[in-house]
Amino acid sequence: MKIVKMKRENLSSFLEAISREAELWAPVKKGVDTHAFQVVKDFSEIDLNYTRTILPPRKILVPSRFNMFQATKTEYTPDFSHVSNKIIFGIHPCDISGLLTMDKFYSYAIEDPYYLESRKKAMILGHSCWPDEHCLCKSTNTHIVEEGYDLFFTDLKDFYLVWIGSTQGDDLIRLVPDLFEGEIADQDIQRFMQWREDRDKAYSSEINFVAMADLMELRYNDPVWAKLGEACLACGSCTNVCPTCNCYNVEDRPVLGAEHSNISRCWDACTLENYSGVAGGENFREKRADRLKLWYTHKLQAYISKYGKPACVGCGRCIATCPVDINIKTVSDSLDGANPDAFWNRLSQEVTK
Amino acid sequence: MSDNNKLKIGIYELTGCAGDALLILDCEMELLDIFNAVDIQSFLMAKSDNIDGDLDVALVEGSVSTEREIEELKDIRKRSSIVVAFGLCATVGGIQARFSEEEWTQNLKEVYGDTEMTHTKAVHSKPIDAYINVDFYLPGCPVGKDQFLNFFTRVVQGAPPESYPVPVCVTCKYNENDCLLNKGIPCLGPLTADGCGSVCPNHDVPCYGCWGPAEGANLTSEYHLLQEKGFDIEAIKKRMSNYSGSKFQEFFEQFKNKESK
Amino acid sequence: MNGTQKATKSDNPFLPEPARIVRTYPLTEDVNFFQIRIADMEKALGFSYQTGQFAMMTVLGAGEAPFSISSTPSRPGLLEFCIRKAGTVTNALFNLKENDLVGLRGPYGTGFPVDKMQGKDIIIVMGGLGAAPLRSVLLYCLDNRDQFGRVILLHGAKRPAEMLFLEEQLELKGRDDLECHLTVDSDDTGQWTEGTGVVTTLFPKLEGIDPENTFGLVCGPPIMYKFVLQEFLKLDIPKDQILMTLERRMKCGVGKCGHCAIDYIYTCLDGPVFSYWDVIHMRELI
Repeated sequence: MKIVKMKRENLSSFLEAISREAELWAPVKKGVDTHAFQVVKDFSEIDLNYTRTILPPRKILVPSRFNMFQATKTEYTPDFSHVSNKIIFGIHPCDISGLLTMDKFYSYAIEDPYYLESRKKAMILGHSCWPDEHCLCKSTNTHIVEEGYDLFFTDLKDFYLVWIGSTQGDDLIRLVPDLFEGEIADQDIQRFMQWREDRDKAYSSEINFVAMADLMELRYNDPVWAKLGEACLACGSCTNVCPTCNCYNVEDRPVLGAEHSNISRCWDACTLENYSGVAGGENFREKRADRLKLWYTHKLQAYISKYGKPACVGCGRCIATCPVDINIKTVSDSLDGANPDAFWNRLSQEVTK
Repeated sequence: MSDNNKLKIGIYELTGCAGDALLILDCEMELLDIFNAVDIQSFLMAKSDNIDGDLDVALVEGSVSTEREIEELKDIRKRSSIVVAFGLCATVGGIQARFSEEEWTQNLKEVYGDTEMTHTKAVHSKPIDAYINVDFYLPGCPVGKDQFLNFFTRVVQGAPPESYPVPVCVTCKYNENDCLLNKGIPCLGPLTADGCGSVCPNHDVPCYGCWGPAEGANLTSEYHLLQEKGFDIEAIKKRMSNYSGSKFQEFFEQFKNKESK
Repeated sequence: MNGTQKATKSDNPFLPEPARIVRTYPLTEDVNFFQIRIADMEKALGFSYQTGQFAMMTVLGAGEAPFSISSTPSRPGLLEFCIRKAGTVTNALFNLKENDLVGLRGPYGTGFPVDKMQGKDIIIVMGGLGAAPLRSVLLYCLDNRDQFGRVILLHGAKRPAEMLFLEEQLELKGRDDLECHLTVDSDDTGQWTEGTGVVTTLFPKLEGIDPENTFGLVCGPPIMYKFVLQEFLKLDIPKDQILMTLERRMKCGVGKCGHCAIDYIYTCLDGPVFSYWDVIHMRELI
């Protein structure tokens, strides 16, 4: 893969140039210390000094709600208005891995054009990151990506090393070739090596996925699931923030004063109370513990048997999000025999007191 | 169905602020479509020539708090194929239903003393399903415009909505808000039915539950979580029971029993 | 710039085809029979499916739901469904009349492995709405009678009035190439001349079963699976020759929406027909 160099001060000129080609999405500050991917017009809004956005970038490709088609009794007209040429700048390796997982999922058996069309028209411009205490991507081996991007920017303070991952990425460079240098000096390489070593050392959390699929199986009836179920708020947050969650619901929404319906698709979450209900009122997973089991079975067992690796990319969002500490870290730690300090663990002691 | 083949609709207000009925009139852009799509037989807030005959759908707002309202409600049920609990008060009883029978009796005495009530007799405020079968629930204080229009258009098409209730947290995450609970702010998002678009957390204000309890809300967990975050039991109880009407009373009663043990 | 027209009907698996209700009539108090034909004649004839597969049906304004196909691919053109009035979509469907339009897409899922079943004896055990998918394979076996060994039907219902396809099956009893045994839990008519008791009481009637050479098929209410599976196992039918069809909530039919997941499988892609061996380790199963 070709690697070029770009001076830091050239970044805004580069963004200026590429933003004329397609809608530019990038991380911007949302709350006091939180971030979100948004369409950017003013480049000063972009904040590359972020760890994780609240929602993963899959929201750009498959919005939380969009119309799949318009229906009358005699005609069904597809609606692909959520699909447009996009450049997503500033994606971290974990989230690129998340998209790679989604690619496999949405292409498996029967292709989903609503995701794949959107994906085809989105260019992925990755960006390096620095871990915080929730980042587990080194354990999941998604801290470095070697595919899934058009360009990847590694931030080495006064310059970037830019990996060119596709011909489309190369085309972007060719828009403003003067901003890039083909020659990479030995000291630049040294700087990169040092950065990589420092970053590897900066990880403070780890997770052990070795044999996790077997542990899921062996501990299927472990009392820990009841504890987790007791504390779970069934709010769906872990699911909504997960880069590899895909479940959705479909609603027929008639239009008032018209003869047609909009058939709309919206994200769903298997951790929600009504997820497994069927016509007639039966619910296959009334218990919160059963719904959590399904979620973790999918992340840690099902994906391994279908795609060869777990669905967790180590982004740490479930850790940062869940108010009661039910997350990939505490759950796999306890399946691995640990007794994690987590609200759900304290609650079960409180309730049985 | 009426002669013109339109659904006959009645909109009724029991004890409440009439905010839900007002919301219908507030659908300014859609108002003509609404009135064109159905035959509104009775709507005290909007028209004077009201007929109280047989209905396809009755939207009932407010809680039941007098004997006369009990009779009125039963009459509406008798005349209507579908009865909808319209708004928080009809769905769970509203703020006026948050008291136990005992507390209510005390409050009544405190406010009215020994005044004789001649018109009708006050009763302990309850949601409408305490007296009649309810076909659909549309919570909210007041009901959300989108929520109402979605419901209304489905009913007009002859297919009632497949309700898929979710807590406020779902929309709050879609809106990419920082979780207030995680910041130690007593937000009721996980306990509260969605429909508002997480309007309070969008402005960094904690959810105070005005859509009423979410289905399957985990009261025990949130209660202990808030305790762990340093809030005292009375403050938590007050916050949680504010808009939950009669629905969380049982939960807090259990606690009383536990504590007295 | 926008990809609005990119994915057209042909490559969009979510778009239904308009289809017409040709005939509908009640089978029992809450179950109706529907004959449906895709409006476009060419597509109607091109709709090829396997026994045990399902289709997604849309009623405009109400929504979409999955339904087992009850007709047999050996009689193309018309699709048949038997549907219980249970939720929003089915309620709306029951309000439709002959000649009304619905939307249809499919067929989906893994059907019965009729190729592997060739030359074998077939025991079909149905109860309640389980008759919906199993009627398809039953009619298929009868239409291709020379491809199979013995064909045995065991059908149980609560009361005579609740037995689906009762007339059709009473007629089938006349065939000498089908062993057909019907039973009801209790007879409230006084007119019932078939068996009484739960469906498993029919098993002793089966004589000379050659287990290695037999496929056992079952579909019915959850409680039935447990007992019928035991009977099949008692007969020594190999676990991968015991076949069942499962039902879950579905929003897509093509493995994307996630709702039909059971443990690590998707009912819509990996099923709805499973062998007992496929699902023996699944805790969430029945």
